[in-house]
Amino acid sequence: MNLKKTLVVSTALATFAMAGAASAADFTIGITQNNVGVDSYQTTYEKAFIAAAEANDKVDAVVLDAGGDVARQIAQMEDLIQQKVDAIIIWPTNGQAVIPAVRKAFGAGIPVIVTNSNIAAEGAEFIASFSGPDNITQGSRSAEIMCDKFKEMGIEDEAQIVQISGQPGYTTAIERAAGFEDRLPEVCPNVTLMETQPGDWNREKSQQVMEAFLVKYDDIDGVYSGDDNMGVGALNAAKAADRADDIIFVGATNFAVGYEAMERGEYWGSIYQSPVDDAEAALKTAIDVLEGKDVPLLNYFDTPKITQDNMSEFDKPVF
Amino acid sequence: MAQGNLKVIGELLAKHGILVAFIIFMIVFTVLNPRFITSDNVLGVVRSSAILGVMAIGVTFVVVSGNLDLSVGSMMSFSTIVVLDLHDKIGPILGIPVMFAMTMALGALIGFLVGYLKLNSLIVTLGMLSAIHGLTLTYSGGKNMDIADKDGTWFSIFGQGEILGLPVPILLFALLAAGLTLLLSKTPFGRKVYAVGGNGVAATFSGIPRARIVFYCYLISSFCVAVAGLIQASRSLGSQNTVGQGLELEVLAAVILGGASLLGGSGTIFKTVIGVLILGFIQNGLLLIGLEFYVQYIVTWVIIILAVWLDIAAKRGQLWSPIA
Repeated sequence: MNLKKTLVVSTALATFAMAGAASAADFTIGITQNNVGVDSYQTTYEKAFIAAAEANDKVDAVVLDAGGDVARQIAQMEDLIQQKVDAIIIWPTNGQAVIPAVRKAFGAGIPVIVTNSNIAAEGAEFIASFSGPDNITQGSRSAEIMCDKFKEMGIEDEAQIVQISGQPGYTTAIERAAGFEDRLPEVCPNVTLMETQPGDWNREKSQQVMEAFLVKYDDIDGVYSGDDNMGVGALNAAKAADRADDIIFVGATNFAVGYEAMERGEYWGSIYQSPVDDAEAALKTAIDVLEGKDVPLLNYFDTPKITQDNMSEFDKPVF
Repeated sequence: MAQGNLKVIGELLAKHGILVAFIIFMIVFTVLNPRFITSDNVLGVVRSSAILGVMAIGVTFVVVSGNLDLSVGSMMSFSTIVVLDLHDKIGPILGIPVMFAMTMALGALIGFLVGYLKLNSLIVTLGMLSAIHGLTLTYSGGKNMDIADKDGTWFSIFGQGEILGLPVPILLFALLAAGLTLLLSKTPFGRKVYAVGGNGVAATFSGIPRARIVFYCYLISSFCVAVAGLIQASRSLGSQNTVGQGLELEVLAAVILGGASLLGGSGTIFKTVIGVLILGFIQNGLLLIGLEFYVQYIVTWVIIILAVWLDIAAKRGQLWSPIA
């Protein structure tokens, strides 16, 4: 694995060196990703990014991957600064630890665009822009999906729900939960959120958590999960207990398994977040910054609601 | 409590310390939430513990022989991903044995490195932890693996099926535990495993082939991992590449909680099973009580330490025994 990564990196650097000498591209943009290969989202993101960069004549891209390792990502930042690329896109391995490296790039006059997951607030002054999903909005949209369904069923005044959140301490998990918990009482003030427990982004863990919920609560009308992978774990637990028909499942980050469960009518809705949109938005933000356009500090790409009612408008996710 | 009472309790504990600790936890959790002891919940917990349990009884062999196995989590991810992939490519009837062969080949490799090349098992299996993870990612291309036709396959029997009202994962766990208990405690091979772990030099002088015994222990461990991967794959019919990540530490915790010594030479399958159940019921019990989840991490650790302390105190016959 490491050897393979090293080869990829050195090939990428060699390509860059040659491209730098011969190419007529306006900008060279370097990207250091979090951990390609750890999940399908990141794998698809990388492919989409490379495709978007190749399709754009203005851009040469240096594509690196930190393999989830903070130290390696910092070293990659230093390399990119040394090479004097025009802009750096970073998918942080850790929102806190990469700040000094981001600051160094800022000091060297290289604009940094953070993609997918933002760095901690104290680093905000050193970045040109953040391009990614708005997780708080995602959480509140999930609350709306669930509330609308309860209203349609006429149980908006008595419904009781549980929440399975992502990994504790993970920004995406915290923001989605916060968005959901803030929005739900605004749209459906009489729905009770009985309990929240983490499923750690893990389908099996989430299945165990749901099993415990099913033992503990005789009446569960809805489950909100921080992503569809966990949502499907909860669905599996409810199916095993013969209680899936009574429960409305709503997730976020629509995965292929979630999409399929929606096709089967077992899973109600989710938030559609495309890694292709994510990658293309990051590249576009970087180009806009380099072209001197006015780019907001928080440059969100849209992540629409998807339910059984409108799913035909969306392609099945590839991950 | 009076000194005399402590002594009585101490003597009671001395035989089955960990079992008594287990019963105490069960009573406490039941008092806090009576639903804890319902048959649905108990069966549910044992069923989800089966995956960890099957792995832990395999690792018990490795630990008794005086070695460690940190690679079982990655290896479980590997077998899960492989069997899911093969299910759709060549069908489950061929796919399952092929997956077992591939997983046990990894076990054989580790057994060879530790047994015949006499490399340190900590280093070898720590390395294999990340190497096998890389292998899994390379195999799957980083994508989640899912069975296409989830409703039309009999493959779900291993994780979701029931025979005579008992979930199949529990039956597999029980069968494997019974079989391996016999192997470890009633056969010449089992006695050799204890001999190699207890005093390797003496074992050699007694004519026991140490390398071969260690090799077989890793083979048994990888066989158990393959069974765990089969249950896991069958239970969710789809998986991430990281499904087994971190399980190696839970497995080790269960084995040590059961009283096996990290130095080798002691430990039984039965006690490992109790260790597994303690971990499973703690997780479930804390969820049922509804404790704030950040606190759960701390409480889990406190309970484990408490259990180990009770076990140690029972063996020594006293609760207070500072290092002299």
